[in-house]
Amino acid sequence: MPPLLFKTTLLERRDYGCASELVFRVPPGFQPHPGQFLHILCDGEGRLLRRPFSVFGHNGRSASVLVREVGGGSAWLRRRMPGDELDVLGPLGRGFDLDGEEEEALLIAGGAGVAPLVYLGQRLRERGVRATLFWGMESGKEYGTLPERLGEEIDLRLATTDGSRGKRGTVLDLLPCGSSGAGFRYYACGPRPMLLSLASRLAPGGLSSLQVSVEERMACGLGACRGCAVPVADPPGAYRAACREGPVFGGEELDWERLRVST
Amino acid sequence: MGTAEGVDLRVEIAGIPLKNPFLACSGTFGNGREMSELVDLEALGGLMTKAVTLEPCAGNPPPRLWETRWGMLNSIGLENKGLERFLSEDLPWLSGFDLPVWVNVAGFSVREYVEVASAVSRSGLAAAVELNISCPNVERGGAHFSRHPGETAGLVARVREVVDIPLFVKLPPLTVGMGEMARAVAEAGADGLSLVNTIPAMAVDVERACPRLGNVTGGLSGPALHPVAVHAVWEASGSVDLPVIGMGGVWSCSDAVELFMAGAGAVAVGTLNLVEPRAVPRLVEELRGFMSANGYLTVTEMVGLLRRKGWR
Ligand SMILES: Cc1cc2nc3c(=O)[nH]c(=O)nc-3n(C[C@H](O)[C@H](O)[C@H](O)COP(=O)(O)OP(=O)(O)OC[C@H]3O[C@@H](n4cnc5c(N)ncnc54)[C@H](O)[C@@H]3O)c2cc1C
Ligand SMILES: Cc1cc2nc3c(=O)[nH]c(=O)nc-3n(C[C@H](O)[C@H](O)[C@H](O)COP(=O)(O)O)c2cc1C
Ligand code: FES
Repeated sequence: MPPLLFKTTLLERRDYGCASELVFRVPPGFQPHPGQFLHILCDGEGRLLRRPFSVFGHNGRSASVLVREVGGGSAWLRRRMPGDELDVLGPLGRGFDLDGEEEEALLIAGGAGVAPLVYLGQRLRERGVRATLFWGMESGKEYGTLPERLGEEIDLRLATTDGSRGKRGTVLDLLPCGSSGAGFRYYACGPRPMLLSLASRLAPGGLSSLQVSVEERMACGLGACRGCAVPVADPPGAYRAACREGPVFGGEELDWERLRVST
Repeated sequence: MGTAEGVDLRVEIAGIPLKNPFLACSGTFGNGREMSELVDLEALGGLMTKAVTLEPCAGNPPPRLWETRWGMLNSIGLENKGLERFLSEDLPWLSGFDLPVWVNVAGFSVREYVEVASAVSRSGLAAAVELNISCPNVERGGAHFSRHPGETAGLVARVREVVDIPLFVKLPPLTVGMGEMARAVAEAGADGLSLVNTIPAMAVDVERACPRLGNVTGGLSGPALHPVAVHAVWEASGSVDLPVIGMGGVWSCSDAVELFMAGAGAVAVGTLNLVEPRAVPRLVEELRGFMSANGYLTVTEMVGLLRRKGWR
């Protein structure tokens, strides 16, 4: 669907440790695809640009995002109260490809990268694809009770850096041994180093079964300014706009070496 | 809109009629297509395309954006599909709209500028050429020219020979001397000035001790740039008798009116488009309201008003 630009009302805010889920009304015809994002105005203090947040949930007349506080814009957004107005542009970008031969999907999330994968998981299950969500975070309390909530709807495995919950280590330590591609589809979103490690684990054969959502700083969100460049493999040296040609890219599409250098 | 009905927003700049005085700045509106999903292109007074270079250009390494307080740094680096695809895909598409198009031309050598400008002029589909000699994100052809009025005049004269449509030259705000540069460009045959491009700028990530931009340096745009733009328009319009399109941090109708009063015959909206895709239609309505509230019937009455009131 073409993007919509709309002002809406915050219906509900649920706080989960370092992040909050914001639920708001959406206009008729709003139909986001998993992996697409919303570009939200975060007013104040000389902040100009919108901030991109993945669709975390969508249910007929409302949708939600999961906002992790990392700076001024996300902090402002997290302080909104039910009844407050939000200025939203979206849905934007190319989301995940839900088709694939493999019957089983591994959803691999680092931190707030869990947001698009939760929505993806719902849609995959509706299509009869078996999905397991692997989620890595710093410590067990970081996202409050969100893991419990998600655990009710999806098969969830946790890893924490400090070992306070789930497996001690990174999310990659959770993946089934020998899972180097065959038989699974991989969907991933999280910090750049996590994506790089996953790609090198799957490369070269398994990259074709990998889809990643890449985060890059954005301005327009529409493909007009070319500010959100992501290096791609073909043609060599070229970039694609994360906001339009992404944020989801196939593992084989990306130039992982240049991504490594710019990280 | 009762009271605003007598207001006439039409302007003419270098002989090009515009239905309203708001254009979209180069690089902040793509080549129209991406934005057309959200904005009626015909609501704009005009559109200035993303820079076109002879060959396709991949642009600078990421990150290319950094937000500062009331401003934004970019180091896009002229990413574009190159002249051939611009002429076959973008310009014909744009010409289907009732919308004057300024084609922003950039190059890495004089020959490239001449070749691109000449092809754009010959296409018959552009209203004007906007020569971008001020991109802070490429060394030769960008910042280089803007430091050398003599060389700039040479370039403008060469391009002038091959262009049959109005030729605008886009200058940076901080040049050797705005008056000197404007005169050099005027004498070389330019029909108008675009003022201003971004200011060379930089930001540092102190935690990681590295530059914020992949290209190390970039250009500052947005509200932080606005008073600098007003000053540049003031200086240039006091030095030469050329029409000026003013741009730099236009965020509201009164920002635009400042540029008119300082001497701009039209204004262009840049960074604001990235935040508010429908900014221009909003500003058009605000300007209508401002003019009717203040008793202006035409935009021209405001253009250069400060000097007409005796300010020097
Ligand atoms: C397609 C996409 C989807 C995203 N989805 C989510 C989501 O669902 N939930 C969530 O919490 N966050 C998400 N992000 C990241 C989120 O956009 C940033 O955290 C937010 O823009 C930071 O704004 P700020 O004003 O709080 O921080 P700032 O003060 O602007 O920056 C704080 C830190 O965050 C980094 N940052 C800024 N903008 C981005 C960006 N666009 N991408 C990555 N890092 C950035 C900065 O480099 C800086 O280190 C997503 C980003 C993208 C590109
Ligand atoms: C993302 C971005 C890309 C730009 N690309 C170009 C360009 O290709 N050619 C050009 O002459 N100016 C370019 N500019 C400069 C703008 O056209 C304009 O002169 C400048 O941003 C000041 O206006 P503003 O503050 O309203 O954005 C670009 C600016 C931005 C923010
Ligand atoms: S943010 Fe402008 S092109 Fe992606």
